Amino acid sequence: MDDTWLKQNTFHYKDFQDIENLVAVKAEKGLTISLCLPTLNEEKTIGKEIVILRSELMTRFPLIDEIVVVDSGSTDRTGEVARAFGAEFYRADDILPELGPRRGKGENLWKALYITRGDIIVYLDADIKNIHHRFAYGLIGPLVLKDGIRYAKAFYDRPIATGKNVVRPTGGGRVTELVIRPLFSIYFPELTQILQPLSGEYAAYRDILEQVPFPIGYGIETSLILDICQRWGMDVICQVDLEKRIHRNQDTRALGKMAFVVMQTFFRRLNRLGALSLGPPMHNQMIQYRLVGDAYLPELFNCDGLERPPMIDVPAYRNKFERRRPTAENGAEIVPGVDKDDLGD
Amino acid sequence: MDAIIARLPEFVQAIEAIREIVLANVVLLGQIPSPTFQEQHRTVAFLERLTQAQVDECTTDGYRNPVGIVRGTDSSRPPIFVVAHLDTPFGKEVDHDYTVGENDIIGPGVLDNSVGVGVLASLPLIFRHLDLRFAADIVLAGVIQSMGRGNLRGVRHLLKTWPTPIGGAVALEGFELGRLDHYSDGMLRAEIECRIRSEHTPGHGHDPRFRPNPILVLNEAINKILEIRLPQRPRSQVIVGRISGGLKHGVIPYSAQLGIEIQSTSHQMVKSISDQIQDLVTGLRYEHEVDTDLKIISNVKAARLPFHHPLVKAAGRIISALGIQPSLSHSESELSVFLSRHIPAVALGLTFGENLHQLDARMEIAPLSRGIAQVLGVLLALDGGICHG
Ligand SMILES: Nc1nc2c(ncn2[C@@H]2O[C@H](COP(=O)(O)OP(=O)(O)OP(=O)(O)O)[C@@H](O)[C@H]2O)c(=O)[nH]1
Ligand SMILES: [Mg+2]
Repeated sequence: MDDTWLKQNTFHYKDFQDIENLVAVKAEKGLTISLCLPTLNEEKTIGKEIVILRSELMTRFPLIDEIVVVDSGSTDRTGEVARAFGAEFYRADDILPELGPRRGKGENLWKALYITRGDIIVYLDADIKNIHHRFAYGLIGPLVLKDGIRYAKAFYDRPIATGKNVVRPTGGGRVTELVIRPLFSIYFPELTQILQPLSGEYAAYRDILEQVPFPIGYGIETSLILDICQRWGMDVICQVDLEKRIHRNQDTRALGKMAFVVMQTFFRRLNRLGALSLGPPMHNQMIQYRLVGDAYLPELFNCDGLERPPMIDVPAYRNKFERRRPTAENGAEIVPGVDKDDLGD
Repeated sequence: MDAIIARLPEFVQAIEAIREIVLANVVLLGQIPSPTFQEQHRTVAFLERLTQAQVDECTTDGYRNPVGIVRGTDSSRPPIFVVAHLDTPFGKEVDHDYTVGENDIIGPGVLDNSVGVGVLASLPLIFRHLDLRFAADIVLAGVIQSMGRGNLRGVRHLLKTWPTPIGGAVALEGFELGRLDHYSDGMLRAEIECRIRSEHTPGHGHDPRFRPNPILVLNEAINKILEIRLPQRPRSQVIVGRISGGLKHGVIPYSAQLGIEIQSTSHQMVKSISDQIQDLVTGLRYEHEVDTDLKIISNVKAARLPFHHPLVKAAGRIISALGIQPSLSHSESELSVFLSRHIPAVALGLTFGENLHQLDARMEIAPLSRGIAQVLGVLLALDGGICHG
């Protein structure tokens, strides 16, 4: 198997820890950088994320220009805490309200494109207990320093053995190892070089993010990889080792739902590519059984797999950013299959 | 002094404006477990913070205390020390997960002493932000092996091996703002252990039902300790603070332990009481045919700055000027090591809070800017020669 990509496009956050240099190159290139934290009831962790990122990458070094929290309707004090430490706080529903409310992390990331100003957008989950500024500068580093890199993706726990002959698992979670990796191996073996395709932390240039659709929920990580690879090729992507990330441990049921959404996202794209013609229509319902008393009761989880269109297709966005829809000449094309009612034309 | 007092409000405001720097350091350093004797990770991170803040000289001393030196303008001046202990009573198995809320930070060890360590690591940037320059070198030392069995080893070693005279010192304590410690009582902490001898263990011919009982022997020890005559002056006492031993109700125990602390304003008195206790423990060994021993876990020399010492007076004025009632008191921590070496020093509290030594210790964020302004004020006073008239 050809693993040139893995060798050339895999970095370690320490490659980018000279933050002063990052700031200098950023200024030279005239770039702005936005940090977006999607939230749903994260009052326990949002405070330290903002405090640390602000201290290290805004106050001490002007690497990040704004911190924006996009919230899915938290019922705890996430908003108060975020504002107390100087982050901009938005309810997702209040952004582009004419497009209707949708619920999910992907929705928040998509709407962040409308309210942030940066040329580069860094997305970090808001539930990182051991938050450290390396999570942000590690992802910003390659985008600023390495020409050609447009999308930087996190991976964790040093899966690449450093010592001789040390064999270690690659640190992917269960959904990665049991769902995504087998699917990639079958259809797109080169993508298996992306060690943790589902990690929630990544950064990218606005001009690619605005051109791809965003599934509103858990499908976003999968779709970004597939769509970016298809449009621009794997060479615009890199992965960065951010070392340790403390995760909460999800139960199998929750992972099952996540796996459902990931597969749904994946098969839709295959279908679109014509690589796979799925005979019967795909169902939008995950069915899990629970034993109650002595009866097995089905529990249904609905996921219609709704996707937001590329942001560039939203007129309000084009007006605000004075951007033009890419034309066929510059090689871009609109991904079909997106809910056109969502454009708000 | 008046000039310093006049600048305090400006300090408070400027610190407020960059408070996230301090809070970030409290979390980044406080979330690294650092039980006494296993402070390596926090030590490395602390030094890294100092290096990133471009402190002139960052190093560890021969005992691995991390130290940063902010160079002063007059190299003939003796340096001024600021210290905070890096160790905590919590093991690595404890989840050091801090929560930053709108008004507070909650987590194990946050008051004792993550906030002290966080402030210490932030001082270089605060100096720079406020454009504060000192004539003397400012030595920022995180000290290891302070608490409990650490017995202040880190700070003792640091001072013993420091090559030059030291001009003065401030010890940072998280809890609580207003505290102005200027003396240390003499203190000696010891553990008395009583074990039965091997000939009394099963299989040595003796009837195990009639072997000596270590708990009863320690009971005897307690009675004898209570008989020791303690003077009202110098004020002295012995606290019997811990007891443990035994297996189950119907079995004569094999061993038992007693934890005591001798406290006195006079070092000689501590010594004399501990000698008496040592003698009575030895006596019990012969009377009861058991093994006994007394192990000294830690001790501190009594030492003080008089309350009218210019440093104490200046610190009191500064604290009052910040709208806080100073509370003169003592501590038997890093402060005592400076004082016993005749280095003028005070220990200062940084903020308010609660649940000092619980897992959910809570520090308030708002008072911190005054706590830090106070430290700056005292450092400026020391630098201005307050201790030399
Ligand atoms: N689940 C969920 N998360 C949301 C939503 N909106 C925003 N988020 C945020 O998206 C981020 C990732 O969500 P998580 O539920 O932690 O998903 P995950 O990281 O894949 O799963 P964990 O292993 O549980 O951490 C967090 O910062 C959430 O607060 C939403 O509607 N649902
Ligand atoms: Mg998560």
